[in-house]
Amino acid sequence: MTSNTTARDTAQGTAERLHAAGLHAPTDAVLSVRDLNVRFNTENGVVHAVRGVDFDVMPGKTLGIVGESGSGKSVTSMAIMGLLPPTAEITGSVRLQGKELLGLSDKAMCRHRGSDLAMVFQDPLSSLTPVYTVGTQIIEALTVHNPTMSKQAKEARAVELLGLVGIPSPKDRLKAFPHEFSGGMRQRVMIAIAIANNPRVLIADEPTTALDVTIQAQVLEVLHAAQEETGAAVVMITHDLGVVAGMADDIMVMYAGRPVETGSVDDIYYSPRMPYTMGLLGAVPRVDVAEKSSLVPIDGIPPNLTQPPTGCSFAPRCPLATEACLDGEPDLRAVAPGTGHSAACIKSEALADVDVHTVFAVPAVPVSRFDSLPRHERKTVLELRDVRKHFPLMKGALIKRRIGTVKAVDGLSFDIREGECFSIVGESGCGKTTTLLEIMEFHKDQDGEVVIGGLSNKQAADARAKSAMRKELQMVFQDPTGALDPRFTVYEVLAEPMENLGMPKAAIRKRIMELMELVGLQADHVNRFPNQFSGGQRQRIGIARALAVNPRLVVLDEPVSALDVSVQAGVINLLDKLRAELGLSYLMVAHDLSVVRHISNRVAVMYLGKIVEIGDVDAVFDNPRHPYTRALLSAIPVPDPELERTRERIILQGDLPSPLEAPAGCNFATRCPVFAALPPAKQEKCLTLEPALEASATDQQFACFYPDGELDADMLVVHENH
Amino acid sequence: MTNLNTIDPAAVLDEGKFGGDDVVIGKSRIILRRFLRNRTAVAGLAIFLALTLFSFIGGFFSSWDKETIDPFNIGMPPSAEHLLGTSQAGIDLYALTVEGTRVSILIGVVVGLVSVLIAAVYGCTMAFFGRKVDKVMLFILEALIMMPALLVVAVATSGGANGLKNTVPSWLLLIVVLLVFSWMGTARLIRSLSLSLMQRDFVKASQYMGIPPHRIVWRHLVPNIGSLLVLEVTRGVTGAILAEVAFSFIGIGIKVPDVSLGVLIGQSTSQVSTFPWMFWAPLIVMFLLTGSLAMMNDGLRDAFDPSSSSVGRTKRNSATGKKQSGKTQKKIK
Repeated sequence: MTSNTTARDTAQGTAERLHAAGLHAPTDAVLSVRDLNVRFNTENGVVHAVRGVDFDVMPGKTLGIVGESGSGKSVTSMAIMGLLPPTAEITGSVRLQGKELLGLSDKAMCRHRGSDLAMVFQDPLSSLTPVYTVGTQIIEALTVHNPTMSKQAKEARAVELLGLVGIPSPKDRLKAFPHEFSGGMRQRVMIAIAIANNPRVLIADEPTTALDVTIQAQVLEVLHAAQEETGAAVVMITHDLGVVAGMADDIMVMYAGRPVETGSVDDIYYSPRMPYTMGLLGAVPRVDVAEKSSLVPIDGIPPNLTQPPTGCSFAPRCPLATEACLDGEPDLRAVAPGTGHSAACIKSEALADVDVHTVFAVPAVPVSRFDSLPRHERKTVLELRDVRKHFPLMKGALIKRRIGTVKAVDGLSFDIREGECFSIVGESGCGKTTTLLEIMEFHKDQDGEVVIGGLSNKQAADARAKSAMRKELQMVFQDPTGALDPRFTVYEVLAEPMENLGMPKAAIRKRIMELMELVGLQADHVNRFPNQFSGGQRQRIGIARALAVNPRLVVLDEPVSALDVSVQAGVINLLDKLRAELGLSYLMVAHDLSVVRHISNRVAVMYLGKIVEIGDVDAVFDNPRHPYTRALLSAIPVPDPELERTRERIILQGDLPSPLEAPAGCNFATRCPVFAALPPAKQEKCLTLEPALEASATDQQFACFYPDGELDADMLVVHENH
Repeated sequence: MTNLNTIDPAAVLDEGKFGGDDVVIGKSRIILRRFLRNRTAVAGLAIFLALTLFSFIGGFFSSWDKETIDPFNIGMPPSAEHLLGTSQAGIDLYALTVEGTRVSILIGVVVGLVSVLIAAVYGCTMAFFGRKVDKVMLFILEALIMMPALLVVAVATSGGANGLKNTVPSWLLLIVVLLVFSWMGTARLIRSLSLSLMQRDFVKASQYMGIPPHRIVWRHLVPNIGSLLVLEVTRGVTGAILAEVAFSFIGIGIKVPDVSLGVLIGQSTSQVSTFPWMFWAPLIVMFLLTGSLAMMNDGLRDAFDPSSSSVGRTKRNSATGKKQSGKTQKKIK
């Protein structure tokens, strides 16, 4: 259907296509985009950010636009909304229900924006005005487009909308200010504002990227409900192939500002015909399977869009590229007639039923010398014993009095052995990062004992012991851009820790060259500044800096969450390789459970400052016992449409409670799907007693009285709408 | 600290290349380009440089100096002999303006530079030590802000400090007094900026590597507030020039026989209608001076601020051909 026309259109020339757009666009498409081009000026020249995008969206259907950062997906949505700065040059045609939107004045666009064309933005924290109540902001959206509506009607509609997006007691919450809402709740409010005027097209630009997985599941559910309610067409823009697998009907994969493959969800996921799509799918680790192979890395970086490409824009990174690929950019061509599946690759016919691992050079799975040793025979690198971090909560202007305690980390004990990767997972606010900071702090007055390579913070915390500890333990930060001083060259960045240890200059130079090779950077990159590198390369520099002094344990704080999928695969493979070759141990904090599953040996699930389940990664992921782990795992979208459609999903109610109001008994009782289904007699136990981490025969431990209990039916969701 | 010289020349040659054919542009070059793109700022810079040049070599173009009295031309309008006329005392106004401009620029530049230096040291120290030191230093700063600068200037330059006045020229005294009262605002700004920099990941990273704190301040903090310092210098120069003019105008700044733009303006205000040239010439020079700095400041902010919209337009260096450029232009306007 939709992409059918796209395919037909692209077969014609550009001029013909533009002409046809007016006359022959499918009458039933609510939004049809033809030959959309966007150009920006930058310091390096004109960037052609979007190059000839065509698509149609049918009412009630969802189109997923997938691509890496810089592929032009967000620019496309902004161009449709008319939100690009006036310095951008936009050509082509965007028709909303047959009406041309491009070239409309800002004022004329305002009649469409928020009314029949609405948008949900990525960051819910900054898209609501902090000084107005949520109710005022919803009513404002209604007032602008319905000036005649009465005050009562608007208020009633606002309450109805808040109820629709699943905000409890909507009438009272109308008067709440945005800061009283959590991130997930704010995103719900954004969705409520977007659907306030029954839009025909809803554009969601990375709507769940800033949210936790359990909240992401809730918000996706709300988007689904909102779409069913309004019958709107949804354009879903995301980099996460898992998110769209369950939501979208059609997918458009974008690369270097162009659509490179379009088709139905099943076509794209099960028989991709473009090497880029294949690479993307192979680069994502799966949370539901224990993988024994390395991820598919796509080498290189996306092309520079200041120069018009002469051949296929993916050719420089494509393992299958030949001379023919460099001769002119391939058009989107139908792969199989009648299915609407088309790909922009001259070899798409040959790519049917080809395994991605044979196309891309996937490195072998690295084997560490420690892998064959049983765990209890390896030396302990890091040990935590009953570490606590409590923040007192003070109130009062002059005389401060303690009104409570925030238990950010509450009695944590675990150990990490040589050559092992240990991960801590959990929602934001569960105390993962505080745990890392406590370890990095390494101070005598800490509550609990931290032992790093045999050095305890209780025994020796003088300067020499500390510097010995710093040699054992190094850290890689989440944001590779923020972690490198923008005024330092790579050489200076890498030399800093070694200079600090008083190494001679010649040795530093030699070591830096080794490091550059080790992390896969060219040696002549050392005199560049961090801003001249791509995100993945910057993270490699961060890793090189951490390895400079030959530590035994590296702390990884969300090492790949700021990176694109294809780059992420390369960094994960690198981390895996380094662990095996250098016998490193990792302590990793991550919210992406798929990455955790791929790289870790052991995992701990944290909830409100406590470990609720710990054990071997395959055991925990394949057979989760604690209800929170079960919910967490079921909330993660899997890049497999078939599975997504039939999967049972536990949607937790509400948000992570503030650590201040932690319940007396089990922390998780307020949101627990098992607890909700228990008879009151058994519930009593959860509310009064605190479950401890039970030692069991296997490595897997969990803190729950009723593991594997019956789940509450209200919190289970299965989609059968396809 | 600089390790660039240890790198082999082949690597340096390759520097300019990145990702195939994408040319790396140095940061200083980007800043210069952004600055040059702002026509107003370039004009400002040109005017300021011209005025400075004028104040130093302007004296050579006239046979008169600021002390010689021309008894035949007292209070005369501009003529061939006296380009800008003469003052009521019969002194060539051109010579006076040249001298006054030099004193004003000198005061402005010295005060602007030194006060920013004091502010940077003071602000960074506060942010770095924190706690008690921060509190005490902040108290001193607040106390200085609350002190009535006007009265202190009046006392220092007139009655109270006779001994000083005889040994030190009045412009130097004014510089010292202006310095004491001009650095506090900048110091507070630098303190807050350094505080936020201390929270950045790269500072944390070096802390976790065990780098001693003073090295962190010197190597990570100071270079990163560099662009702010440049801006503060131009702002400080403007402020100092205006303060000098204001103080001299009300008679408590520079004292005759020293001359400055403020003194010239102040002397002539009472007779604007009878001797207009005495008033307008120094006033215009002052406007040019402060105006040019203000124009420059705007361009400097644009150049240093990466989020500014100073990227130029699609049309100018568009390679997309004439057909679309007309359309673009229409949209932009």
